[in-house]
Amino acid sequence: MLVVVLVVATAIGLVLQRRAGRVRASTAPSTAPGWDLAGVGPGTDDRVLLLQLSSPICTPCDRTREQLTALADEHDGLRHVDVDIAERPEVARALHVMRTPTTVAFDRHGTELLRVGGVPRRADLLAALPLEETR
Amino acid sequence: MTDRLDPRGVRFAAAVTTVVLAIVLLTGSGVLAALQALVFAVPVVAGMRWSPYGALYRVLIAPRLGPPSDREDAAPVRFSQAVGLLFTVVAAVGYLSGATALGIVATAFALAAAFLNAAFGFCLGCEVYGLLARVRTAR
Repeated sequence: MLVVVLVVATAIGLVLQRRAGRVRASTAPSTAPGWDLAGVGPGTDDRVLLLQLSSPICTPCDRTREQLTALADEHDGLRHVDVDIAERPEVARALHVMRTPTTVAFDRHGTELLRVGGVPRRADLLAALPLEETR
Repeated sequence: MTDRLDPRGVRFAAAVTTVVLAIVLLTGSGVLAALQALVFAVPVVAGMRWSPYGALYRVLIAPRLGPPSDREDAAPVRFSQAVGLLFTVVAAVGYLSGATALGIVATAFALAAAFLNAAFGFCLGCEVYGLLARVRTAR
């Protein structure tokens, strides 16, 4: 019994570790209005919205917030908005998000581009975003 | 409640918990399950400062290591102790009342969660928060 539990837990751990932070392109994107949910409109230069869904008791959410805030500062046209789904559960419902942190990227027109569950892998996320190579 | 914890101490406590729960599963000892529940209950009630395994870490291990490069928020850890408390109380009641199957299942879940935390730094509350929020708002 002990061996079974440890083997199952190890398998779950390995699967979660492989999936954590991985960028998944949205092949069947939700039609949820990302900019509206974020409560902001796209500014003239904004190309991409990173909508982060967080919960109150969540260490990886804090690390994701730090990383994405820095990313948005470094790149023109990138907006980052963090939403606490404890305060706004309708955002999680609209985007069918079960776990935190989840980051959903939308383009200027509100089309969903990709999702990341867990703390994003910075290089992978940057490579996947349609940002202009300025600066 | 702005406590900051050494993450290595948190992982150490999860590792000790994993070993204790493994022994519970092997021996079917309801008393040991109850003791582990008590270990969870102290920091849930009094704050992480009073965590028995945390104290063990500070006395035995922390002096041998350098200062932590990072600190983590205590609130998520305290929440995970509350989840552990719930499962180990059910386990202890199960074993001690003769509902052994209940004891085994509850111990197995608590053990899996503690092991995932110790080995992978897994955050159970984060993984299921959206799910829980949805259940809450559906009612």
